Amino acid sequence: MFEGGRMIKNFVKLFVLTMLMVLSTVQASTLSNTLSKIDRSLATFDPLGKYVRKPVEKAIPRLKFRGFVRQWSDMLLEKNGTIGSVNQDYRFLQLQNLFELQTSYYIAPGIDVNAVSHIMYDGVYDWQNSDGLSADRSDRTNELYNTSERILREFYISYRKPSFDLKIGKQQVAWGKMDGQFIDIVNGMDRRESVQLESEDYEWRRLPTWMANATVYLGKTTVQMLYIIDFEHDRGAAPGSPWASPLGVASKNITVGTSRPNADTFRDHQYGLRIDRSAGALTYGFAYMYAWDKNPVERIVGTTLSGSETVLQVHNRHERLHHFGATADYATTLQNVPWVGNIPAVFRIEALYTNGVRFTDADKRTDALSGTITDGTVKRDTVRAAAAIELALPSRTTFIFQGSWYQTLNYKEGLGYGFGGGISDEWSFIPLIHAARPFAFSKDRLKLEVTAFPLINGSDTGWGGLKTKVRLRYKFSQFLNGEFRYTGYDTGGANDYYGQYNQYDNFGWELNYEF
Amino acid sequence: MNSKALHSVKVVIKNAIKISLSVALVAATHAQGQKSDWKTVDQMSAEDKALFDPNHATPRDASIPYIPAEKFPFKAPYTAEEMGYRSAQFSHISRWSHSISDVFGVVTSSGYVNQGEWACFVDFSQPGIEGYINSPVGQELGRWMLYETFPPESEGAQQLWIPIRSDKVEKKRLEFFYYSPSMRRVRRMPEPRRDQRFANNAQTLDDVMGRDPWEFQWELLGTDVLYETARFPATRSSITWNEPGKGFVERPVSSIKLMGDDFDHYTSDGGVETWVLKATTKEDWLPDYNEKYLIVWVEKHTFFILRREKYGHDGRLITIESRMSEKENPALGDLGYTSKMGTYWNIDHDLISYSFHDAHQPRVWSDEQKNMIFKAEFMPREWLFEPIPSQLRLDSPDEFFLRPHLYPDKFPNHRNTTLPPDVQSRYQQQEIAKKLVFETE
Repeated sequence: MFEGGRMIKNFVKLFVLTMLMVLSTVQASTLSNTLSKIDRSLATFDPLGKYVRKPVEKAIPRLKFRGFVRQWSDMLLEKNGTIGSVNQDYRFLQLQNLFELQTSYYIAPGIDVNAVSHIMYDGVYDWQNSDGLSADRSDRTNELYNTSERILREFYISYRKPSFDLKIGKQQVAWGKMDGQFIDIVNGMDRRESVQLESEDYEWRRLPTWMANATVYLGKTTVQMLYIIDFEHDRGAAPGSPWASPLGVASKNITVGTSRPNADTFRDHQYGLRIDRSAGALTYGFAYMYAWDKNPVERIVGTTLSGSETVLQVHNRHERLHHFGATADYATTLQNVPWVGNIPAVFRIEALYTNGVRFTDADKRTDALSGTITDGTVKRDTVRAAAAIELALPSRTTFIFQGSWYQTLNYKEGLGYGFGGGISDEWSFIPLIHAARPFAFSKDRLKLEVTAFPLINGSDTGWGGLKTKVRLRYKFSQFLNGEFRYTGYDTGGANDYYGQYNQYDNFGWELNYEF
Repeated sequence: MNSKALHSVKVVIKNAIKISLSVALVAATHAQGQKSDWKTVDQMSAEDKALFDPNHATPRDASIPYIPAEKFPFKAPYTAEEMGYRSAQFSHISRWSHSISDVFGVVTSSGYVNQGEWACFVDFSQPGIEGYINSPVGQELGRWMLYETFPPESEGAQQLWIPIRSDKVEKKRLEFFYYSPSMRRVRRMPEPRRDQRFANNAQTLDDVMGRDPWEFQWELLGTDVLYETARFPATRSSITWNEPGKGFVERPVSSIKLMGDDFDHYTSDGGVETWVLKATTKEDWLPDYNEKYLIVWVEKHTFFILRREKYGHDGRLITIESRMSEKENPALGDLGYTSKMGTYWNIDHDLISYSFHDAHQPRVWSDEQKNMIFKAEFMPREWLFEPIPSQLRLDSPDEFFLRPHLYPDKFPNHRNTTLPPDVQSRYQQQEIAKKLVFETE
């Protein structure tokens, strides 16, 4: 282990040395010549594809496999010391290295066995000197996927007929097509990056579960049925992890246990149904799921004395929920728009109504401390919905506006967090703006993406802060690509969803090799 | 003369010899590849003149007022407009139900290569340009399911294209769905802009889907004989095709002919006679379109497009497309030729794309297949129900196709073949080396 500042100095030295090496090469040739040599050597750089994948697939023709290696790092612009309940004495928010292998073995016509395994090591706990980071000690999977459950990510047998699909085993199912999660409710999620978890990372962060997944294709209608035996709860950013919430206050309550749905108990199983239909330019669908809330809610089971103070005894329990979802999209061409002429456009909407979400209720908790018998919770219904428009502008520019709405129905002051509802308020609105374009001077290898996530809450708290993401992606070759990114958190108060992370502006990079 | 001065003189003479040899080589190469067989309309043979109707104001169709009254495929003599309509049969993706392995790629002047390989399953309910013309506006013409198998990054990604009959009012030409395996989501996407290069490619949507002939004003410039279109480099002496029924077949590149093996009209010296057309965009149909006019070389009997040049509003040459054909659907006679392989050279960015259509097989899809494959709901199944292997991907940038001939002497009143100096230099080096010369060499 070594100190973060020294590490940065070493990086700078390494960078300078590399630049010197590059410049000395440039003396002998020109910069463009050097870059051209790199381009041409990278064009054929695929060692795992050439020396592993191809020979293995040749030796075992029934086996197909592919995979990737990814280095994924984010670094705080500054160390800020104590922020709320967090000691931010570290610089790196992630130093993740992920290796994934996807295999498929053909057994008979229409029958395959599929497995996805991956292993991840996050160097933030070892490669910087920090007292604030300790989550690896309470749960090793924060640092390394070292359990079979984590490593064997998906494992299922699939049986396919032209009008029928059946997949049985451990798998993930992604519903919905918006940025963010609206009807994407089937699997739990590892949210270790908290507010920095992005839609494109869901694939690696969803927590697959054991289920039977059948789909029937009936002309223009598709019906999907899920029978989910297993349950995986959401994982948040653990205390002592880089993204642990600064709002976390050591609770005086005494937790007497957590009950989770049990795979061995029939009545704990979950069910899902989705029906989709396409009609020309319009596609629409409906979904229903009888599921468990992926996050438990504290229920009061009694009170006790802690020293001279009366405190609550709470038991964490997941709640049964009824989810009703709808989705639709429609494509058109907007004509004669000033300045840009015709613009191809797509409209998308998605909504989820959830019945029976349990919230903690601050008033009832106060009553409990005074001796009233109550479990300290209330049930409410919630709605989360999004409407988006995507435009194909000139210069290969994509523009997306997506308004995302989260509402707790029959809201009252003092409610805690609940699935699908407003963020610490009655409602929350995120008018997401995204623009992306490749640059012709780089022969389209360089792509810029800018996304802004402003948060507005009502009817009480108002402005909740702004998250901004700027990404520069670059294709080194057919097999290698990289990215530099900046994520900023601005404005909003220290108690707000984004505002709490105002001192977490960070810079990151990513390098992917796919074979 | 001191030794320093003597050395300088030697260097000057050496360089002069090198430059002279280079110029001579380039000139010789041009002379070989560019026999001057082109003729203006006035210079055309009597036989050709008899096949051409110079009339610009032919009667219009009663129900579709913007198309000729004479029914497709027309009879000789042909007006320039009718030639344009005939050539519209030969879009990049053949206008009949079929399957292919589409192997394509791009190379930059630095040697960066990006390639793709897609298994393509194409269903046309309204086949041919005739089916397109006669379809009601707004109606879908068929469905194309494209399954990506290379590069690894996009393996398993799929696209569903639903081409639509468009006109001056109904502008939408495509319903477009994309399935991303890493997102596990099918998304309806806005159709790409018609005149805009795809990212990492020199092709535009219109290059792939074809252009509507009524959106252009057609003019016959004359005739020409072509001997080469898409050009292999000296580093590639043979290629391996997947021929349905035969499997992988190795072919020396020197044996590949412009219109395939079964074409009856090669000239005695192996050339292909062409009409040369100028297609100028109609402003009211294509306002703000990037391309002002196209110069198109179409084979004289089939009207297959062998070469197409695209010019901007400032008169600059934007792209040269060059194609080689094969009669892949003999049942359609002269309308059964396909774009077997082609190159697209975007001059603004010196970007060269290639596209091979390997393992072409005309198909009659069963109702079960139609209901299964050609739907957005099929994509999340990640089911490549029929792999179409190909061996046509390049192993290194050195194997990439050459930039097409420039033919600066042909139809100079209509063509501006001036290149930016750096591109001109690379073009000349390529002509000498007979392979692409990248920035290091």
